[in-house]
Amino acid sequence: MARKSWMYAVLEAVQYEMRQDKNMIWIYELTPPVASTPGMPVINLEKEFGRKRVVNTGIDENWMASCVLGAGLAGSKAVTYIPYQGNCMCFQVIQNHAGKLRSMTGGMASMPIVFLLEMTGQTPGFAGQHSDYEIDTYYAHIPGVKTVVPSTPTDAKGMMASAIRDPNPVCYLYPAGLRELMEEVPNEQYTTPLDKAAVRTIGSDISIVGSGGGMPEVLKAADLLQKQGMKVETIDLRCLKPMDTETLVKSVQKTKRLLTVDQSYYTLCPGAEVIARCAENVDGARFKRIAFPDAPPPAAPEMFLWMRPNADHIIAAAKKLVG
Amino acid sequence: MFELESSEVSQETAGSAWLPTASRRTFLKGVAGAGAAVSFMSKSAWANGEIGFWAKDLPADKLTEMFNTIVRIRWHERTMVDKMITDPKYRGYNHFYAGQEAVATGVCAALNNKGPFDQLDLVYSTHRPTGHAIAKGVDMKKMAAENDFRATGLNGGYGGEMHLSDKSCGFIGADGMIGPGHVIATGSAFAFRARDSKQVAVVFGGDGTYATPHFHSALNNAALLKLPFIYVLENNLYHQYAHYSYSCPMKDIADAARTYRIPGVVVDGQDVFQVYNVMKTAVDRARAGDGPTLIEAKTYRYYNHWGAPGAEAGQLGAFGYDPLAISSFRPEREVRAWMQRDPVDICRNILVNWGVLTRARADEIEAAAKKEAIDAFAWADKQPFCKPEDGLKNVFVEGVVPARQFG
Ligand SMILES: Cc1ncc(C[n+]2csc(CCOP(=O)(O)OP(=O)(O)O)c2C)c(N)n1
Repeated sequence: MARKSWMYAVLEAVQYEMRQDKNMIWIYELTPPVASTPGMPVINLEKEFGRKRVVNTGIDENWMASCVLGAGLAGSKAVTYIPYQGNCMCFQVIQNHAGKLRSMTGGMASMPIVFLLEMTGQTPGFAGQHSDYEIDTYYAHIPGVKTVVPSTPTDAKGMMASAIRDPNPVCYLYPAGLRELMEEVPNEQYTTPLDKAAVRTIGSDISIVGSGGGMPEVLKAADLLQKQGMKVETIDLRCLKPMDTETLVKSVQKTKRLLTVDQSYYTLCPGAEVIARCAENVDGARFKRIAFPDAPPPAAPEMFLWMRPNADHIIAAAKKLVG
Repeated sequence: MFELESSEVSQETAGSAWLPTASRRTFLKGVAGAGAAVSFMSKSAWANGEIGFWAKDLPADKLTEMFNTIVRIRWHERTMVDKMITDPKYRGYNHFYAGQEAVATGVCAALNNKGPFDQLDLVYSTHRPTGHAIAKGVDMKKMAAENDFRATGLNGGYGGEMHLSDKSCGFIGADGMIGPGHVIATGSAFAFRARDSKQVAVVFGGDGTYATPHFHSALNNAALLKLPFIYVLENNLYHQYAHYSYSCPMKDIADAARTYRIPGVVVDGQDVFQVYNVMKTAVDRARAGDGPTLIEAKTYRYYNHWGAPGAEAGQLGAFGYDPLAISSFRPEREVRAWMQRDPVDICRNILVNWGVLTRARADEIEAAAKKEAIDAFAWADKQPFCKPEDGLKNVFVEGVVPARQFG
C-alpha cells in the first residue's frame, strides 16, 4: 500500500500488464505515460518499454484510436491515451468500427483494446471546447464497447487491469479533474469488475447516485447530510455500460428516493438512465436528477460555476426529496 | 512567381530555424535529401530584408501601420504576461504569440479588414489567437476584457482567449481544436466562389496541424475546387512540447503543397515584409480565381506553450524548462538564438533603412503601443463581471435553456 494519485495508479496497472505481455503497446499524444508519487519509483512507460512499443504521435486522435483497433485486430493488446481536447475526434472509429466489428464478423474480431479518454472535469475559464464533461453518455450509447468511469485511484488501477485483460473494446473515461486525488492503493496487481457500481455509504432515507468527476461533491454533500441526521446511501456508478441495475434497484427499493447527480448535460445524462432503470423496477419511488444545463459551458467562472452542480445543489435537492 | 518545379530553399530563409538539437539530428539528416522544396523564396529572398516588389512599393503610412501592428501585438503580449505574473486577481491566460508577430501582421496587411461583412476577407485563427486578432483589427480593449471573462468583453465573457471572435472585422476567430477549423474555412471559401465574391478565406495553423486529417482535407478540397483559400502554417518548430519532426516527415511542410498541385511557399516568418509579399501574391491569385496557396512561415514563440511558466515580469520571453512539458522541452539556447532575429527589430531596421521611419519615430510608435496595451488592461480591469444566470443564454437564438443544477 502507498498513497498514489489517479494516474500513478493507472500507470502501475499498465506497467504490470506490459511487463507480462511484451506485445502490448501504448499510443499517446502530448501526455507522456509518466507518473511519480512520493516514496515510489517513477513510472515512465516510454523509457521502460522503448519507442517501438510506446509512441508519441502527431495530432490525430482518429489515427490513435484506429491504431489500437488495428493492433487489436492483429492480435496485440493496445491502449491509447486521448487528451480531452480530442476526445470526440475518435468517436466515429469507436462507434462504427470498434463497437460493431465483433458483431459484424460473427464473433471473429479480436479487440483487446482500451481507449483511455480524458475528460476535463469541467474546468471554468476555458469555455466550450475545453470545459466539456459531455462524453460519458456519448460513448456509453455505443453498442459493443464497455464504458467505465472510475472516480478513485483504487478503482482506476483495478479497472485498468480489468480493461486491458478484457477481450472487448473498453472506453475508459478519465475525469482529469480528479488528477490530484490521492489515496492508499495496493502495490500488487488486482482487478476490479467492469460491471459493478460501488456503494460508498449505506443509508435508508435516500439513494444518491453519481459518477466520475462529480463524485467528490456527492460524497461531500452526503457527509454533510449524514451529520444532519439523514441516512444517505451513495452509489458511485463506475460502469456506465454495462450498468449495474441490480445495485441501483436494491438501493432504491430500500430508500424509495433517488437523486442522480451528473456533471454532463441534463438531456440523456447517465442519471436519466439510472432513473429509467429504477422506475422500471421499483414501485412508489420518487426521483430527481440534477445535471449541467443543456448549454455549452461558458468561459466566465461566474456563469460556469453557477451552472455546475455542487454539494449545495445536491443537499437542497436531497432535502426536497426527503422532506 | 509560384512555381511547381523544384528549387532550393535559401539558407537565409531558413535562418537559425535549423540549428539542430541533438535529438533531432537524424531527422534533419533524413530530410536533407528528401527532395527540394517548392519554393518562392529562392527567387525573392536575395538577402534578408531585400525584396524586389510589393512591400517595398507600399505607401509609407501603410508600412508604418505594419510596424505599429507588430509593436501593438508585442506589447499586448508583454503587458499580459506581466499582468498574469503580478496580479493575483487576474484570471486571464494566453497562448502567447510574441516572436511570431510578423506572420499575423504580414498576412493581415494583405487582406480586406474593414467594410461590410460580405466584402471582408475572413480569418480563421487558432488556440494562439491574440496576434491574429490584433492584426485583423479586433479592439484591444474589448479583447483584454474578454480574456478576463468580463461581461463587456468581445464575446460577453462566453468565449475567453481560445474562442475570441469578431465578425465586424472578419475575424471568425480563435479555435481551441487543432484541425477542424481548417476544413470549415474551405466552406467559407466555397461560399465566396459560389457567389462570385472577391473575398478570400485564410486559415492560420501551427506545424502540429500537419498530422491532422484536416490539413490534408482542407488543401485537397480547396485544390480540387480551386477555392480562394490560403493556408498560413506558422511553423514555430513545436506542437505544444514536441518538435514538429514527431508529426511531419519533411523539413519544409510547404512541400506538401506539391501533392495537391498548388503553390507551397516557405517564408521567413520573422520578416514582416517577406510575409506580406508571399501573402499578397497568394491573395491576388485567390481573388483571380486561381485557387489556394499553402504558406509556411518559419517562426518561433518566445514563451512556453501555454500561460506564463518560466516568464518573469518585465522580461521578454520565457527560458528554461516548462514544468508542464514533463518529458520533452525546447533548449534555452534555441530560444535565445531565435530572439536574435526579432520581428520587431527586423521591421524597424528595414523601415529605417528604407527611409520610412526614423529611429526616434519608431520609438514613439512603440511607446504609444505600450501605453495602449497598458490602458487596455486597465480598462478591462474595471469592466463588470458576468451575471451567473446569463450562462443559460446564447444557446439558441431565442430564449434561455432551463437551469438543471437545482433540485
Ligand atoms: C484535436 C485536438 N487535439 C489536441 C489538442 C491539444 N493541443 C492544444 S495546442 C496543441 C499543439 C498545437 O501545435 P501547433 O499547431 O504546432 O501550434 P503551436 O501551439 O505550436 O503554436 C495541441 C495538441 C487540441 N487542441 N485539439
